[in-house]
Amino acid sequence: MNRIFAFLQQRPYAFALLLCIVLLALNIIVSPSFANPTRWPAILGTFAPFALVGFASTPSVLSGGMDISVGPLTTFISVIFIAVLMPAGLGSWYFSVPILLILATIVGMINGILVAVVRLHPVVATVGMLFILIGLSQTIAPNPVQAADRWSAGLARTLGFIPGALLTIGAAALIWFLLRRTAFVSNLLATGDSDQSAFGSGVNVTAVRILAYGLGGLFAGIGGIALAALLQSSESALATTYALLGLAAVVLGGTSLLGGRGSMLGTLFGAFAIYLIQQLLTAGGVQSNLIQFAYGIVLVVGVLVSATLLSARQRGKVQ
Amino acid sequence: MEKRGQPLLQMAKIEKNFGATRALVEANIELFPGDVHTLLGENGSGKSTLVKILGGVHQPDSGKILLDGADLTLRSPRGASHYGIETVFQEVLTASHQSVLQNIWLGSDGIFRRRFKTATQRQQATEVLERLLGDAQLDVPAAELSLSARQAVSIARSLVRRPRVLILDEATAALDVQTRDRLFNEIRRLTAQGSAVLFISHRMDEVAEISDRVTVLRSGQTISTVTRETMTISGLIQDMTGSKVSPEESFKPPREPGKVVLQARDIQLAEQATKINVDIRAGEIIGLCGLEGHGQDLFIRRLSGFAGGPGSVSRLEVEQNNSATPVGRRNAAGLGVAYLPRERRGESLFEQMSIQENFVLPTMRQDKIGPFLSRKRMAARFREYIQSLSIKLGSPDDSITTLSGGNQQKVLLARWLATEPSVLLLNDPTRGVDISTKLEIYRTLQDLALQGTAIVVLSSEVDEIVQLTDRALVFRDKTVFAELAGKDLHQQSIVTAYFGQEMEVQYE
Repeated sequence: MNRIFAFLQQRPYAFALLLCIVLLALNIIVSPSFANPTRWPAILGTFAPFALVGFASTPSVLSGGMDISVGPLTTFISVIFIAVLMPAGLGSWYFSVPILLILATIVGMINGILVAVVRLHPVVATVGMLFILIGLSQTIAPNPVQAADRWSAGLARTLGFIPGALLTIGAAALIWFLLRRTAFVSNLLATGDSDQSAFGSGVNVTAVRILAYGLGGLFAGIGGIALAALLQSSESALATTYALLGLAAVVLGGTSLLGGRGSMLGTLFGAFAIYLIQQLLTAGGVQSNLIQFAYGIVLVVGVLVSATLLSARQRGKVQ
Repeated sequence: MEKRGQPLLQMAKIEKNFGATRALVEANIELFPGDVHTLLGENGSGKSTLVKILGGVHQPDSGKILLDGADLTLRSPRGASHYGIETVFQEVLTASHQSVLQNIWLGSDGIFRRRFKTATQRQQATEVLERLLGDAQLDVPAAELSLSARQAVSIARSLVRRPRVLILDEATAALDVQTRDRLFNEIRRLTAQGSAVLFISHRMDEVAEISDRVTVLRSGQTISTVTRETMTISGLIQDMTGSKVSPEESFKPPREPGKVVLQARDIQLAEQATKINVDIRAGEIIGLCGLEGHGQDLFIRRLSGFAGGPGSVSRLEVEQNNSATPVGRRNAAGLGVAYLPRERRGESLFEQMSIQENFVLPTMRQDKIGPFLSRKRMAARFREYIQSLSIKLGSPDDSITTLSGGNQQKVLLARWLATEPSVLLLNDPTRGVDISTKLEIYRTLQDLALQGTAIVVLSSEVDEIVQLTDRALVFRDKTVFAELAGKDLHQQSIVTAYFGQEMEVQYE
């Protein structure tokens, strides 16, 4: 038992992992069908947008900043996909996917330039971008538009034998995994940890920051495709729902808002915990407005628990 | 000294201004292959600016940098590194959550591309760290190392890149003695291979031990360059202070210190630092000085109650049977202890407020009529200080930002004088203040001392300490290294103490 505790203390995402296990068990108790493998593709399909918004928020936080606009960017991309590209005849995957991902990356990099070059405060830059994206989404598709091309539906259910959501989450995870094998993630963590040290040692801090926000944009783009796959219609009104969930997943996953410390795996657990809360409360027949209340409680309590009970190592170091 | 060939690196007529501050006026330095070249100077002499220009952090306004005789433009530390110029900066720079190995190779990769295999990295890092620290723990986070070991890691970061020019800006300050000795061996290895080292240290013993040449910088100008054979410590100190300015015009009228009003007992500014005991008397002006970061700043904040720590600061009140009350952040003002912080912006000024509002804040209570404030009374009180301190302003209702730095400082001084303090603590009060305003502030302080106020002034300017104070406490290594008063209080004695030397030679 002590060994398990020690293991958990060394993992910043320990609380999110424990929470996931507990919530998963509760979900199975409340609705036993949750454990039925035939439901898993659909479950993953509804989870994918959460996970990807969380992924999208992670690189900027690791770099010592913050991107609040990734949620609306996800909705914006799904709106562009369904309400612009499909009617224009560009809905097939080989046209739409590259266009959407490039667009999303550019939006992210604009945030990065505003922060790293123009030197706006990250909250100012990305809240500005948040409103711009919400406004654009609602202008482009004031009312929900149904998807004309249906190929993407498989991404939220199954493609052949595999759950389609594994492709979207998996694509983002693979990109991160590959980046970890390059010098980029080390440079990113060092920049977030101490930008002075990184700059003084010859890291191109400006480029690293811009790329971090760009990478967040790319993940948000994948999230937008996953969202369109799930809904099969453009729901610009969703923008506000996702706006802060990503950040909540990051924080719950044990990533430090000060930058330089955290992991994508933690964000995945954080996002899954949030998703499971939602599922549990919905299955238990709780009103939807109370779900947000529950998010808030879990987030605050979760961060407190991680910072006190589970971080003996950190405290020992200070003394 | 054998005949020298071409210098490896030259910095010629370097000039650099930060706003109105002239950091470097005309700095020249030549580094020869195989030399350890020391840069010496007091606070504000321009050492750090010169180093940061060579390290690529700042760009000079004019002047040339030549490497092997060819013009060089350095835009960033990365750019400097490209030419083999590596800097270990004064602040210990490590990314605390990253491992030692990652810290050592930080910045050597491209944004994506890894330049070295992990095995190569480990092997070279192990080699260098073993030579510097005696052992190499590569996988622990930097935060878990001692300060000295972290500094060694940031030195190792420069060494693994095999620099042609290595800049050590106060890099030995955080090192323990053994590590420093090992560093000196590394320096000798490096110079034996034809590299040059630019060395900055505030320890004269280190300078004497390692330097082949020494260049002295004063007020942003290169004053002299001497070789190992011709240098003497007294000569260097004279060059640093400027030899002509000797016991000069004094602002000190004769006065008798009164009773002890503030008593500091067993103040310890760092672990294992010697404890400090000081009695501060009514009517005397005490100076606090030292090279940056030797504890004087923390000491004055301890006196003010703004910082806590081991030891006690008590206010003794004659009127009340010499009762001793400990001074803390909350009761300092009530006990008649006023503190003027160092940073006007951020620590003192309310930039959104008017001049008068800035003045009136701690003493607003005096203007109360019933529950309301009388603006008339406020203005009347402020007018007195406008006159007595000759504050130059348009209207008291103008924004505080419309004033010059010197006049802002006078307003802040007025703010605390209005509380009629018995003890006035001033943290570098004339920083960024023009010379005539400076003299006016000196006069005001002298008058206050004559009226019985105890004044403690921290100053980074040696001249100020000499001209203004009755006795000076020189800080070194987080404790009082020397106390100078009367005839012993002059520029040379202060600077000698800065660098940890006893005053042996008598200067004429």
